[in-house]
Amino acid sequence: MRNKPWDATLLTKITLVFALIMSAFPIYYMFIMATRTNEDAVETPPPLLPGGHLGENVERLLATEDANFVTGLVNSAIVATTVTVSVVLISTLAGFAFAKLRFPGSKLLLGLILVTMMVPLQQMGVVPLYELMVTLGWTGRLQSVILPFLVNGFGVFMMTQYTSQAVPDELVEAARVDGATTMGIYRRIVVPALRPGMAVLALLVFMQTWNEFMWPLIVLTPDNPVVQTSIAALNSAHGTDYVMLFTGTAASVLPLFVVFVLFGRQIVGGLMEGAVKA
Amino acid sequence: MTLQLAPPRQGPPSQAPPPGRWGRFDLKGVPYLLVSPYYVLFAIFGVFPLAYTLWLSLHDWELAGDKTFTGLDNYVKLVTDASFWNAVINTLGMFALATVPQLVLALMLANALNKRLKGRLLLRLGVLLPLVTSVVAVAVIFSQLYSRDYGLFNWILSWFGVEPIVWQNEKWSSWLAISTMVDWRWTGYNAIILLAAMQTIPRDLYEAAALDGASARRQFWQITVPMLRPTLVFVVFISTIGGMTLFAEPVMFEGNPMMTGGTTGQYQTVAMFIVKEAFRDFDMGYAAAAAWLLFVLILVGTMINYGFTRRIRGAR
Amino acid sequence: MTNHKRFVVTGVALTALAAVAACSGGGGDTKTATQSGSAAEPVTINVHTFGGGENFGYDEAVKKWNAEHPNIQIKYQNLTDRFEDVYLPQLLQRLQAGAGAGDVVGIDEGAMGLMAARPQFFADLSQYGLDSRKADFPASKWEAGLNTDGKLFALGTDMGGMTMCYRKDLFEKAGLPTDREEVGKLWPDWNAFFETGKKFEAAKTGAKFMDGPNTIYNVILFQEAPKNGNLAYFDKSNQLIVEKNPAVKTSFDWVQKFSQAGLTAKLQAWSPAWDKAIKGGGFATMGCPSWMLGVIEGKAGESNKGNWDVAAVPGGSGNWGGSWLAVPKQSKHPKEAAEVLNYLTGKDGHVAAFKEAGAFPSSIPAQQDPEVSGLKNAYFNDAPTGQIFAASVANLQPVFFGEKHAQVKTAVEKVLEGMDQGAVKYDEAWTKFVEAGVKAAG
Repeated sequence: MRNKPWDATLLTKITLVFALIMSAFPIYYMFIMATRTNEDAVETPPPLLPGGHLGENVERLLATEDANFVTGLVNSAIVATTVTVSVVLISTLAGFAFAKLRFPGSKLLLGLILVTMMVPLQQMGVVPLYELMVTLGWTGRLQSVILPFLVNGFGVFMMTQYTSQAVPDELVEAARVDGATTMGIYRRIVVPALRPGMAVLALLVFMQTWNEFMWPLIVLTPDNPVVQTSIAALNSAHGTDYVMLFTGTAASVLPLFVVFVLFGRQIVGGLMEGAVKA
Repeated sequence: MTLQLAPPRQGPPSQAPPPGRWGRFDLKGVPYLLVSPYYVLFAIFGVFPLAYTLWLSLHDWELAGDKTFTGLDNYVKLVTDASFWNAVINTLGMFALATVPQLVLALMLANALNKRLKGRLLLRLGVLLPLVTSVVAVAVIFSQLYSRDYGLFNWILSWFGVEPIVWQNEKWSSWLAISTMVDWRWTGYNAIILLAAMQTIPRDLYEAAALDGASARRQFWQITVPMLRPTLVFVVFISTIGGMTLFAEPVMFEGNPMMTGGTTGQYQTVAMFIVKEAFRDFDMGYAAAAAWLLFVLILVGTMINYGFTRRIRGAR
Repeated sequence: MTNHKRFVVTGVALTALAAVAACSGGGGDTKTATQSGSAAEPVTINVHTFGGGENFGYDEAVKKWNAEHPNIQIKYQNLTDRFEDVYLPQLLQRLQAGAGAGDVVGIDEGAMGLMAARPQFFADLSQYGLDSRKADFPASKWEAGLNTDGKLFALGTDMGGMTMCYRKDLFEKAGLPTDREEVGKLWPDWNAFFETGKKFEAAKTGAKFMDGPNTIYNVILFQEAPKNGNLAYFDKSNQLIVEKNPAVKTSFDWVQKFSQAGLTAKLQAWSPAWDKAIKGGGFATMGCPSWMLGVIEGKAGESNKGNWDVAAVPGGSGNWGGSWLAVPKQSKHPKEAAEVLNYLTGKDGHVAAFKEAGAFPSSIPAQQDPEVSGLKNAYFNDAPTGQIFAASVANLQPVFFGEKHAQVKTAVEKVLEGMDQGAVKYDEAWTKFVEAGVKAAG
């Protein structure tokens, strides 16, 4: 990454610090609430410093049988991981084909994907998808929340864009001359070049799947929830136990933060490298 | 990232295909194999629901009741339904209110992040943090911040002698509150994307401009923004899809999932309208018709935005 | 998809399949094996209910049953606290899809009209001899369980005898009496209630007199409906009468009067802010059908024990709410499900539910049981709830519901909330209220 030899003005620094505070504050607030009591939660002004009640909030959270919070966490991890791995694989394969291979109809097929991205499947697909899952006998099981999320036009689109910049044509050509098969090119040239892009896509997909709420609410049962429906159940079991709700919410975003911090460098790098010369 | 409606320039045809029939298949057949998983899945979990929805929209059907074919009746009813248009206006209004400041802020933020700084990675990660937070979490947090009696925002306003605002009550306040949730979540992400594009702008452009005595601000407007056009198109495209299907934030903001979007539908979005018709009033056919109209709305919105962003002229 | 099958042999499919295989073994399979009720393997009967706090209150009753019936084990699940927007759509979908519904399902009164109009989805309980139970229930509760084919598809659980809940600590602060007998004497009718409210407001306790429009509106509506042919929003031929029914207008007018006088805390029932105010003492009174006691206990929490109390409701009696149990046709074990339903809606089931959740029995034998008539509620300062509720449902006339009752109710109450909070002008509110009702009735 090249950097322009400009120094940040004081105004810039203030802007950035302000932006950072704005970004972090609501999250900070959530973690604060997870360490307070319900009496604190309804105070004016609202509490802004941590209290010492995290332990008991977590205990109450785990003791709420209706919520099956731990099951929810495990299920969400299974679902999000499976969906992420599959979508990244599907998207890089298709993206590579669209960006670097010639085949009749590729334009049309890619255009179709753009249109599919505009379909509000969230709202349109619920009734037919539910009937489909019933027919397959999958209601209440995890595959019912995994399979529909494998359809991810954004991923294909993004990987197409990314591959066209990240993989030089010359490399593909040279490999062809050496007699490499298409899959060989994919494995030896495309995948290594796409790593940063894959990291970004993986994060976005993992996040989206982890945070999905509406569809699991309809198709799963409370005894086998995902983390978001588990939080909804917490909310209904203890409507006014706000701090427990915040504790659950905090616990539900924590895994994402961990993933984010671990892969932060690659993710930012990937986002940055995805840039294109205008 | 740019938004190209056609595939990018393709690699040249291979000089020497591997010999034999397998080689020909490798060139002609394998590309289709590579893209097929997506289309197969999409056929089952995308096309089927869409077609089913279209078929439903031509019927009068109450959930778990009888279906009767009514042709285009649902569409005719929708177009004359004031509450549907109210939802459309809300959706467009909140989209504008959320997207415009979001883009301006993202541009400013990207510009600031583009300077030489200590702790760059930390800053970049910091502004991405909201994106990682789940919508449910965002809604839980912000609904608390905006609550009438115990909320931080009303408390801050009370320093200036402002009476507690019921944020859900009026169009302007509910739109503002929901837009801030959307902005908070997406500004950082857009800033990083724009920043990435900024770093590819050739430096000599700026140097030449500086020699001509252009101020930093002028350089930003004359060089940076026009050069960012393709990326802006991409960002706007993604924001449009998100904005037109806005759902979780207003629902959580309402605090009860009845989908009415406030007492008189102050902030009911089209997506909420669809869910309300389908799963509160069980009027499935009507909801399906509304879903198709939403799809059309997104198409039109994308086209308009695309046309609009293309007209940002580069500085010559 | 057969012609695609060959192509899907990619790593993707394998990953997905591996995952599917991995999670097929996990829990969450709600289907019970089909078998001919052999004694070797117990039949599992899923009972699905809804409601906040203690909901249907079947924990103890189920424990007792399971101990006594090794061959029929009840699995009792409360799916959600939200009936209209979560439980009902989900139940309808599962009925429609022919799978996923419980063997015994709870239905709230607001949706009974809707379910009665869908006879194809429910087992005929008279096939299992449950028509013998007619004498156990008040006529209205029994008749609501007959569907449009005239078949018995549901039996009553609780009913919503009416009281007024109030906060002792706030009443004390306002210089009002705190003893429930005396509090009841403060408001023989709604006018007196209104005057008490003005006194309370004048005392400037920092809290409001009542929660908001919803609970009071429903209390008055269900008191007025019996005076107008036992009708609320629909007449017996399912025509909307929201504008014509004086009961609706009277209830509306009272809410408007309370709201304009500034007696309400402007809170929507069931909103998080309402929850908070129940806990934090944001208001002093709310209309309280019997099942609301469990809700308050759940929302106000242990720390508020003794702060809430129950007094007689102005105007004396009324019923708001209550539920039924039904057996979906899709159940694999309708006979056993009917047995379980018979037990839960029987005297013992009713009494256990009342002890656990304060759900007042609609079963006449249960109402007369000393355990019910003599029960005191510890959370509410040992209020003799058994007596209070029994008094409020004596000679009760429950109300007819149309198929779209729940939708109309939601729509018109939204207007009330808007009016109370200032989003709808007082002089336009009635017009908007009727419009909303007409629209929701479709």
